[in-house]
Amino acid sequence: MTSSARALGLLAVVLALAPLALPPFFLQLLTEIAIVGLFATAFNLLMGFGGMVSFGHAAYFALGAYAAALLVKRAGVPMLLALPAAPLAAAAGALLFGFFIVRLTHTYFAMLSLAFAQIVFTVIFKWKSLTGGDDGLLDVWPPVMLKSPAAYYYFTLATVALSLFVLHSVSESPFGYALRSVRENPRRARFIGINVRRLQLLAFVISGAFSGLAGGLFAFYNGSVFPDFAYFTKSFEPLVVALLGGAQSFFGPLAGAFGFKILEWLVSRQWPVYWPLFLGTIVVLVIVALPQGFVGLAGGQGWRTRLIRKS
Amino acid sequence: MADPTDPQELVLQTIGLRKHFGGVLAVNGVDLSVPPGDVRAIIGPNGAGKTTLFNLLTGDLTHDSGRIYFAGEEVSGLPPHQLCRRGMGRTFQITSIFRRLSTLENVQTAFLSHHRRHYNILTPARRLYRDDAFALLERVGLHEQARKPSGILPHGDQRRLELAIALASGPRLLLLDEPTAGMAPRERHEIMALVARITSDTGLTVVFTEHDMDVVFAVAQRITVLYQGSVLTEGSPAAVRANPDVQRVYLGQPASR
Amino acid sequence: MSGLSVGMFLFLVSVGMSLIFGVTRIVNLAHGSFYMVGAYLMVTLVEVLPDRPWAFWLALLLAPLGVAVLGAVIEVGLLRLIYHRDPLMQLILTFGLILVISTLVLLAWGPDNKSVSRPDALAGSVRIFGQPFPSYYLLVLGLAPVVAVGLWLIFYRTRWGMLIRAATVDREMLGALGVNVAALYTQVFAFGSWLAGLGGALAAPTVAVALGMDGDVLTTAFVVVVIGGLGSFAGSFISALLVGLLQSFGILVFPAVSIVLLFAIMAVVLVVRPWGLLGRPEE
Repeated sequence: MTSSARALGLLAVVLALAPLALPPFFLQLLTEIAIVGLFATAFNLLMGFGGMVSFGHAAYFALGAYAAALLVKRAGVPMLLALPAAPLAAAAGALLFGFFIVRLTHTYFAMLSLAFAQIVFTVIFKWKSLTGGDDGLLDVWPPVMLKSPAAYYYFTLATVALSLFVLHSVSESPFGYALRSVRENPRRARFIGINVRRLQLLAFVISGAFSGLAGGLFAFYNGSVFPDFAYFTKSFEPLVVALLGGAQSFFGPLAGAFGFKILEWLVSRQWPVYWPLFLGTIVVLVIVALPQGFVGLAGGQGWRTRLIRKS
Repeated sequence: MADPTDPQELVLQTIGLRKHFGGVLAVNGVDLSVPPGDVRAIIGPNGAGKTTLFNLLTGDLTHDSGRIYFAGEEVSGLPPHQLCRRGMGRTFQITSIFRRLSTLENVQTAFLSHHRRHYNILTPARRLYRDDAFALLERVGLHEQARKPSGILPHGDQRRLELAIALASGPRLLLLDEPTAGMAPRERHEIMALVARITSDTGLTVVFTEHDMDVVFAVAQRITVLYQGSVLTEGSPAAVRANPDVQRVYLGQPASR
Repeated sequence: MSGLSVGMFLFLVSVGMSLIFGVTRIVNLAHGSFYMVGAYLMVTLVEVLPDRPWAFWLALLLAPLGVAVLGAVIEVGLLRLIYHRDPLMQLILTFGLILVISTLVLLAWGPDNKSVSRPDALAGSVRIFGQPFPSYYLLVLGLAPVVAVGLWLIFYRTRWGMLIRAATVDREMLGALGVNVAALYTQVFAFGSWLAGLGGALAAPTVAVALGMDGDVLTTAFVVVVIGGLGSFAGSFISALLVGLLQSFGILVFPAVSIVLLFAIMAVVLVVRPWGLLGRPEE
């Protein structure tokens, strides 16, 4: 057994035994960490592996959350059937938006993704009759057997673990290789026969789908959904988490989620108002202080040749 | 004897290819005919239109008028990835590889794409086409470097890798853009010897642009000379060398080293 | 009619953002925050100044200056450190600034909505084509040509303006000619911030001054700047008018759809002509 497999195994055991040792609050924290970890890993498929940085991934998280919530609230569908709708709805959104977004690169890519996220936000906000608008949708709970913190914790852990397994397979698959080659050198990738846009769109859809699943999981964890799930500041979260944890490794974002959430908990319990300030300051400091951007970020040839510096 | 101008027989043919940039006619009615197995050099002084012509052939630029045929079919205006699928491979003047992938992964990815498996999201790719990739790396002399990140390889090895990547796509035609640019003289001959060896083994057709006349005269079977966007002359190395127009156009231009 | 004045606020913010991008190549996502700070400063200044007719106008003068100072500080203290960096890093940094500024605003002014009353001279309304029209909007609309002409004069008739236009085309060359490009950058950033602050200060009597102003204006300004062309002054002007009008009429006709329509147009522009209607293609 390789050392990383052993580490994972140990982690799995620890996580499985957590409910025996930890009070409900920490189980909830771990549940949130898992959800954010999934969101950030899905996001990072695009950023770290694909070299595409989206500033609007909250859109897919929100689409997933609302799809599941709407089915439960408006159509009376049980949670276990509603949850699969989350990645599907998000994937549909990613397909529609991604079709346009992947035609652009770098700054424009980020800007367009932000714009689409704002569309989603505005639609959710304004379509009060369907989505409840500003009031959100409330009482979106899992069925009784999954409702306790421990039960939902296990459910989330299992779902996230399964999703990470799939995402990991994707990153190690021929598609993953092709995606990385596109990140490294899109021109060269074209000349080995890769239809770059189509490949990027597929990556976008996969990333969006799992972001939507994270949103769905969050909806039932939170018990309610609100338009600000789609607001652009929410899009910042997976980005920061992935960067902090390391965008070039598959498990980086997960580690980042852990650190991020713990930090958020520590800061917010003392000084709740200061959390965005804290976050913003950390990000600013890290960017200024790191000499080359986060090591091996969505970097490589593509970004460097795009740098405006003409010298 | 096959009619060398019959499109069916030619690997590559252009008819009346034109391209302007603003007011400048960079490529002005170029007719090119490349039969199978040819090793064709395209030369000309700076500004002759070699790079533009090259980019037109590889789909990086769209032409204003004229046509391009590849293996008898019209391919004018097709995007690069489709040209690759049809059998055109290329290398770039500035070495273009996947720097953070290992040498082996670079070639494997090319094989994966060639065999259209790059949409497969579930099987682990690590073992796929590994033997094929190793074989190809051996052919270009990079067997030892298989596991290293390709970005740290010395320039000459990166060039070889790029050649391997291009070959992995199973091309019928190799377009090499200044293949020896930035290389020391010994390396230049090595890499062109490699190209020559590979093409004679496989019957691959090669079209390349070059500034280094030593390399050109050593390797090329036929030479097309461009001047101010049009073909000045075309023929065997000896004929071209002796051609007074060519000498005039290159007068005062020493062979680049 | 209010669409035109909304367009005016947008124009000020967008032109500032566009200008900053044109010269420094940084997309300043915190630009909406500058707008918000301008509005909040207006609130405080109007409160603090004595209740005289000229108070409003003084506040209108000072608030944007305050924002300009903020902009200059940020440029010198932070942005100078990242000009050579990946545009993505720059975007993330300005995104981080949004969080910092909005929390600081919350801390300084509290979570409640604020408002600024219109000056007495402009508190009423007049009848135009039989419709009542708030007088304050006349101010805004009256300022529009003044600001537009003023900007045009600055960019096309002053040496400084010429330097700025040169900088948007070729910064290195400008530096090689001995121009202090670093100082120019600071000035441009401060000026762009000033414009955003002016937009916020002008808008303060017409909207609820609240947290979240930054996000709303940012995203709309984005749309304007993209459609008009990043770096194009005329583009921002036309685009801001169009967007302002579209927003207002849209809200009347298709309330839910108007914003979506706006972003859809932006999406189309980004796909078909990413450098906007009047911008210049990069590279």
